[in-house]
Amino acid sequence: MPVLTTHALTKHYGRVAALNGLDLSIEPGQVFGLLGPNGSGKTTFLGTVLEVLRPTSGSFTWFDGTAGPCVRRRIGALLETPNFYPYLDADQNLALVATIKGLSRFDADPLLELVQLKDRRRSPFKTYSLGMKQRLALASCLVGDPDVLILDEPTNGLDPEGMIEVRRILQKIAAQGKTILLASHILDEVEKICSHVAILKHGRCLASGAVGSILGGRPVVEAVTNEAGADKLHQLLAGLPFVLNLSRQGVRLTFELAEGHLPGEINRLAFEQGITLDHLTSKSRSLEAEFLEITRS
Amino acid sequence: MNAPSLLSLEIRRFLPNGTFRTLIVLYVVMFAGGFGMAHLIGGNFQMTVNGDTVRPLQDMFVHPKNWQLLAWIGSWANVLLLGFLGVFMITLEFQYKTLRQSVIFGMTRGEVAAAKVFFAVALAAAATGVYLALGILGGILTGSLSVPPCLSVIGFFLQALGYLAFGTLAGLFIRHTALAIIAYLAYVMFLETVARWTFTLMVTPTRVLMFLPDKVLEGLAPLPIPQSVSQAVQSATAALPASLTPLESIIAAAVYLLVFAALLHRHLQRADL
Repeated sequence: MPVLTTHALTKHYGRVAALNGLDLSIEPGQVFGLLGPNGSGKTTFLGTVLEVLRPTSGSFTWFDGTAGPCVRRRIGALLETPNFYPYLDADQNLALVATIKGLSRFDADPLLELVQLKDRRRSPFKTYSLGMKQRLALASCLVGDPDVLILDEPTNGLDPEGMIEVRRILQKIAAQGKTILLASHILDEVEKICSHVAILKHGRCLASGAVGSILGGRPVVEAVTNEAGADKLHQLLAGLPFVLNLSRQGVRLTFELAEGHLPGEINRLAFEQGITLDHLTSKSRSLEAEFLEITRS
Repeated sequence: MNAPSLLSLEIRRFLPNGTFRTLIVLYVVMFAGGFGMAHLIGGNFQMTVNGDTVRPLQDMFVHPKNWQLLAWIGSWANVLLLGFLGVFMITLEFQYKTLRQSVIFGMTRGEVAAAKVFFAVALAAAATGVYLALGILGGILTGSLSVPPCLSVIGFFLQALGYLAFGTLAGLFIRHTALAIIAYLAYVMFLETVARWTFTLMVTPTRVLMFLPDKVLEGLAPLPIPQSVSQAVQSATAALPASLTPLESIIAAAVYLLVFAALLHRHLQRADL
């Protein structure tokens, strides 16, 4: 049974359609990435399924077809920025969350340990660095051991060290089998953390599926030869019907091979033409390449 | 969540806030200071009429007018400081985005509205406590301790709650602290008064105007008129619509408070947070 299902979810701000008939389904245990450029509708989507924004039309269901506060207490969510009372410390802010979630007993220690904020637990939130704020937000999402985590740009504004730290925590949480819904415009982040991905643009879902299947297109082949051989190789490759998307940068040529063809064939054909290849590699297309192709098409 | 949990949640959220604490301290200082000044100046005010020295404001400081005077002094603190508290109660939540976060964590929008109502009631009850404490203290110090009139206490409580609600609504619809305070002050200090007088002088003096919200709240703690000038005031205002009786003010204020609470609930139910 899916954790979250949306049916033709639509949200308009005046004439602007922030969500445009979005259909998505997220299964338990998935680390689901919502990928899209700024303004693609990621935050609006999360705000709508978290019931802080009212959809213009369409619907969504959580777990067994229900919605409302009982469902939201099973979800830990961070939308846009960490939202806490700046004059309260970590303990006080987390205790408020625990009260809202209806926990009669709450121990902040394990959470503060996980996000490495134990030393600063008595400091007001306003004195925290951005990284510490994001980590406290993660801790608040984990109050009450929720089944689902929803995180909107969790590494936004962090330095590289902070990003690695937050990703490490997310991978640790994902390893516990929790469902995570992560919105981001950082492709590398989604590629490193997520098992599934949906690509949004203008409030529409352009592609969705397992990260492997999105990346599972034709491999990109890169061949490097010397100055004299580059022209000949270019001519050769341009004439081969199974070589696609050929491009050249100096002595470096990149191209894709149609299904059923291998880079070894290129090596053999080049050798037969007297071209010596200095370098020949084949690699999967990055999520960035897929993302650019999908969003530009 | 039940009512005590919601109230406790609001208290834990706001009492540690510096602005909130400052406004509460200022409320007590302004109320107590105003009452003390009134005693010092008005209580000792004397004038000579036909060779006799009289104290024309004396009756204002004895039962039952002493409680009315205290309520009137407190009404200024209610207008200014409780109204501001009402604004802050909601705009801080928008500023910190904690209202939406509460909903994300699992509160219903109805619970969010109810928490604000309970907190406003608690603050109004605390303000009424200050009113009673100052009245009792004043009574002990001047040797004229008396039981406060029931209508004065209820009126003061409703007025405190009314201005808190007014401020909260301004904050809810405007969302920006400074703009909400300006809009709130403009309404309670000028707009309604100007509109009322304009209608009275240019169109017709009708008693319906006495039921406008700020006038109703004002009427819950009116300025007591000293015996010495009551006749002059009566003849000067004879052509104007009669003020609301205390009971009318209380009923009208109660109706307004229900409307305010309904508006708060409805807006929070429908709005994007």
